[in-house]
Amino acid sequence: MRLVNMLAQVDAEKCTGCKTCVKVCPTLAIQIVDRKAVIDSEKCRSCNNCQQRCPVYAITMVKREKPFKVYVDPATEDRTKIDELCAKAKFNPEQIICYCTETRAEEIAAAILKGYDTPEKISLHTGVRTGCKVECIQPVLRLLEAAGITPERPDGWQWYGRTPTVWDIPEDVKAKYSKRGFYFDNDIELLNKVAQTKKSGKEDN
Amino acid sequence: MGKPITPMKPRVSQYGVAPEFVTKRMAEYPEMTSVMLKDLFADTPEVIYPSEKGLDAVREAAEKALANVDMSMIKPGDSVNVCASHHGFTLLGGEPYALLLKTVRDIIAERTGTDNIRLRAGVGLRFRETEEYIKAFGLDKHYKGRAKGVAPVDEGIPIETEIGTLYGIKAIYDADWIVHVHNSDVREVHFHRQVDRAVKPFGMSYARIETRSTYHQNLGPRAANFTARAIFGSEFVQNKFAFAAFLDMSPAGVVGVDADNDLLALNDRLTVNGCKYYGKIITLFGEIDECIAGLDFPCPVPYVFAAGVIYCNFAGANVDLFDLDNPLPPYTWYTEAFYGKNGRPLVGDVPVVNPAIKMVVHNYAWGGYPSAFFSSHVPTIVVGREQADLINRDPQNIEYVKHSVIADDLDSAMEFAYKTAKTDKVIIFDGAVGGLNVSESLAQLLIEKAPQVNKRVDVELMPKWLKQRGIDPATVK
Repeated sequence: MRLVNMLAQVDAEKCTGCKTCVKVCPTLAIQIVDRKAVIDSEKCRSCNNCQQRCPVYAITMVKREKPFKVYVDPATEDRTKIDELCAKAKFNPEQIICYCTETRAEEIAAAILKGYDTPEKISLHTGVRTGCKVECIQPVLRLLEAAGITPERPDGWQWYGRTPTVWDIPEDVKAKYSKRGFYFDNDIELLNKVAQTKKSGKEDN
Repeated sequence: MGKPITPMKPRVSQYGVAPEFVTKRMAEYPEMTSVMLKDLFADTPEVIYPSEKGLDAVREAAEKALANVDMSMIKPGDSVNVCASHHGFTLLGGEPYALLLKTVRDIIAERTGTDNIRLRAGVGLRFRETEEYIKAFGLDKHYKGRAKGVAPVDEGIPIETEIGTLYGIKAIYDADWIVHVHNSDVREVHFHRQVDRAVKPFGMSYARIETRSTYHQNLGPRAANFTARAIFGSEFVQNKFAFAAFLDMSPAGVVGVDADNDLLALNDRLTVNGCKYYGKIITLFGEIDECIAGLDFPCPVPYVFAAGVIYCNFAGANVDLFDLDNPLPPYTWYTEAFYGKNGRPLVGDVPVVNPAIKMVVHNYAWGGYPSAFFSSHVPTIVVGREQADLINRDPQNIEYVKHSVIADDLDSAMEFAYKTAKTDKVIIFDGAVGGLNVSESLAQLLIEKAPQVNKRVDVELMPKWLKQRGIDPATVK
């Protein structure tokens, strides 16, 4: 669940049309029109990325007159399919995958089942990747991959690709570093246990 | 016990309220006192800063350490990126780290003849934080206009590693050579567990979001630390890496400067020092039975300091954070992830947040880090409407204030905390240097418990911690 309470606003006098904001926006809410950045207020999820990276400080965040929430209710999709997707991606459905929005794996799975087939669309509808903008890209890519989807990369720096998981680490690498405190196999055991444990029992909203 | 140590001053930053809103510090109350680390643990190391020599001691130590480093690979005209991280600027006001960065530049220029030296300063989750430090400490001028902050959402570059492709920030690596300038402050021991501490920035402040997400989501709480090792060990990085220079930190201050062409050798030295210097005070914090914790320092909630220990490590001090046999500290992002919708852990391996913390008084701490976990697990009072409003505007903390109460001022917050928490023990995370500010009642407890902690760490815990990290305790003095 993401409360969207702010909105990016461009100072056209300062904007140089450099496109940095376009390249870092996780919901593709910015376009350059006549060499100036233009924000689509419907798509802005108030993540601050544009404001934080604009090289000429042309963007400020302002309070929205009407804040709103974005959320995909897992109860609106087939529970079995949600659980299958999460299991394939090695997540417990209730596992939190975005710490800023407290978004759980099951919500992302439900969003994918609704047809949101890119990280950008998923961010738009769930708010994931719009808090810290750093930590939750891999779970999103892993869940998309579990659904058999290879999303097309946007023409920016939003994300580059899925990276290795602990299950991918070659045995020879594990053996080489086994005495350095990395505990690969113990962590696999822990993550498997989390993924395979049953739900807490609380129903969806 | 002595009078309270002067807390670290509020800092002008977009991530915290303006200093004029910090009208009173927790250390100002008459019931507060201070305890020096030397009085708790006699083997607390001597420090070069703070000291009578001031910052000159840091420069001298840096020059001496760098004299033993080979810089012959850097030729006149070569480009060099001096890579820094935000964290160093949070230590002792930031001046020692800023001075180390200036000294490194001066010595590279002097010894190699190149003038094409740039500062690339990485961040955590506050993408303009190092921009603020670059200006505040005059680093842009010292680096002749070639200093910039870099963020994990900036343009990336793929790096092929032993475990597959990971991604770095392009601007970190856009030079012939890179020099890694960091510090050994243990800080996020809940994440890195004092495993490859010196290497970590390669998987964090120098890395793109994909890599950082790998660390916090893909590998597990202990295996995560391999992310940085994989990147550092890559051919790409090895071909650019020149040397490293570190502020060797202890909870009491700067112990010295360590520099080496061999980062892994330096890493081994700092692994030992980190366990030794920080292990005792963190273990002692685990002995606190009940308290009110005060946050009063210019950093996000988890990163405010008391005796060199950050608050989120106090939130996990009921578990031995250095013991790798404990898979999950009470706070890490993996731990946070494993709480189900009913608010209970999904598996039995999740330890509770330190039950000794009865209440938190958030007098002054920044946003810019997802902190709702803390306010949802420990009763929290946020002081001042301005501070609450600022946090509510922070995209990483939409839920933080929702789980808190707001007090008009510090006096009413403390009054409420004493009545509700029903303890007079108070620990203040205000960056006091050389010791910590606490209530007299807590000071007495710490002094009483310190000798047994001292013995337990020396005899029982240190040998175990070192063995878990592949270091033979017999080789350590």
